[in-house]
Amino acid sequence: MDIFLQQLINGLTVGSLYALVALGYTMVYGVMKLINFAHGDLVALSAFAGLTIYVEIFGEGTNSLFIVLSVFVITALIIAFVGVLLERLAYRPLRTAPRLSAVVSALGASLVIQNSIMLIWGPNMKIFPSNLFPSTIWNLNGVVFTFTQVMIMGISALLMVGLYIFINKTKMGTAIRATAIDQDAAKLMGINVNRVIMTIFIIGSALGAVAGLFIGINYRGITFDMGWTYGLNAFVAAIMGGIGNIPGAMLGGILLGLFNAMISGYISSEWAETFTFVLLVVILIFRPTGILGETIAEKV
Amino acid sequence: MKRRLLKLATSVVATSALVASLNAADVIKIGVQAPITGKYANEGQSIDNGVKLIVDQYNAKGGVLGKKIEVVSCDDEGVAQKAAICARKLVNAGVLAVIGSYTSGATEAAQTTYYRNGVLQTSDGTSDSLTKHKYWTFFRNSFPNSAEAEFTAKYFVNVKHYKKIAVLSDYSSYATGLADATAKAIKNLNGNVIYRGKIKSGTQNFTAVLTKIKSLNPDVIYFSGYYNDGGLLRAQQVQLGIKADFVGGDSNDNPDFMKLAGSSAKGTYLINVPTPDILPYDIAKKFLKDYKAKYGMMPASIWTLLNIDGLRAVLYGVEQTKSTDTKKISNFLHKLKGFPGITGPVNFRSDGERIGGGYMAYEVQGDNSYKIVYK
Repeated sequence: MDIFLQQLINGLTVGSLYALVALGYTMVYGVMKLINFAHGDLVALSAFAGLTIYVEIFGEGTNSLFIVLSVFVITALIIAFVGVLLERLAYRPLRTAPRLSAVVSALGASLVIQNSIMLIWGPNMKIFPSNLFPSTIWNLNGVVFTFTQVMIMGISALLMVGLYIFINKTKMGTAIRATAIDQDAAKLMGINVNRVIMTIFIIGSALGAVAGLFIGINYRGITFDMGWTYGLNAFVAAIMGGIGNIPGAMLGGILLGLFNAMISGYISSEWAETFTFVLLVVILIFRPTGILGETIAEKV
Repeated sequence: MKRRLLKLATSVVATSALVASLNAADVIKIGVQAPITGKYANEGQSIDNGVKLIVDQYNAKGGVLGKKIEVVSCDDEGVAQKAAICARKLVNAGVLAVIGSYTSGATEAAQTTYYRNGVLQTSDGTSDSLTKHKYWTFFRNSFPNSAEAEFTAKYFVNVKHYKKIAVLSDYSSYATGLADATAKAIKNLNGNVIYRGKIKSGTQNFTAVLTKIKSLNPDVIYFSGYYNDGGLLRAQQVQLGIKADFVGGDSNDNPDFMKLAGSSAKGTYLINVPTPDILPYDIAKKFLKDYKAKYGMMPASIWTLLNIDGLRAVLYGVEQTKSTDTKKISNFLHKLKGFPGITGPVNFRSDGERIGGGYMAYEVQGDNSYKIVYK
């Protein structure tokens, strides 16, 4: 039983990270019908930016709630800015162009960000300091969880609930939903579509930045090309949950993490990836729009 | 008019070819194929730096056979596809010999191209499959997996008396080869391998596999992959409260392993040939001193030094045969006995295998220094 619970925690931790990243994919897709391949690289960029901010501004070895909070806020702001810049430079000029051009532009943007990280921070692995979060470990009857894991799960859940409320209860949220349904009609209703798109890039990138920092703090080793791995998994999570659907991305991320943990725990670590993708195919056979993806009108 | 143009074109091509061959006669080109960027960048850069250092030293003394040596580097990122491209690029550049690559996978992907074009290659790749083809162009400057596997098995079964052994690798040809050979050698000594699993390199989250291993309660977890995964595996193992010993294969011997594992590095065991700082030879001490003076740091690991021995043996071959004919040099190297290398005597067998060399087991201390526990 304790092994099962342990796998549950393992799966939930990495699943929360996938979910945070998947939200960025799904929101952009929902509104613009564009797969933002550069999103994974923004996640990697945030880990590097966060590390530099921590080391350069606050100095290695220092830590307090204020410092950790500032690192998160400053990094999220920077990455949100880069996200908006990305939209301006790589996607807005192509908004009326065929979808394929935008996809190529997205792939190009991904390479530009990835290589910029390599040129700025170098090709070597950078290592996060281990003292950013307290290294407290709890052990309940053999089930182990760390302070970092609790923070990852807790803060991700909080952010996702906050996003859900924002989308469904606020005026901006309504505008986002309206734009997702029909951009032209939304424009006719007096919605500033450019502002809506800017907002989703800000939110998506900031969530990705939080995920990137958590990856750095939890796994410590960061490489310039790590965005691809997390991006791919999050993309799969978004599709699994129904791309364009916000609760779907959260569910997809968590499920992907859990599948992976349970399959490598109970079947075979060598087949974990294969079975995960088989499962994805099965889900798509029975629900072609993903688990929660239903009609176009529901998409956000 | 057309014909005249054609004539002109051919004569231009012919002259440029002549110029190229004249240039080629002036210098001896040595290729470096190494992961200069990517996951193994710190090893790749160190190999590249090491080669350049030795070449500079040769050139300062007037080169070999009165010719200057020129280094042509190609970054294969430790990826097989990129390695194949590098192989073509280096062959086209007209190199005499190639040093590298660092990983067995990238070495294997380039091997055949060098063989077909008669370019010598010396690599630290330890995968047994590298000498399988018996290419006359290939020389291994490290020692094969099978030797390490036997050493590891003996240490586990006869010295440590582990009753339950878990074996992990990644999917690379090197790591799976080493893990399989080790598991087989353990079974030959009547040891008990209770788990054999694989992780995907670079995924960072290994808690699922480790939790599975925890449920089996092993005495030791042996990991045959690379340091960037090994350090994280060790950190997550300790985090999950798994009491087993952690033993890393040769590719875990890298400063980044210690950084990633953090406070969990203490008590880890590593198995490798002697580390650079405990090599007893004078040329080794001189090389380390020169390297530190030029680059301000130590080479990443023993792999740089092994590759340097490959380079030195090749240059020695050029000097002794007084020729740049790779076939002649190869014949000479196959009979090489007791050439004084930085990492000990260099002897090659007829299939390009380096003979000799002893492994050691180290225990990582609190200050990340090594203590030899078995040799």
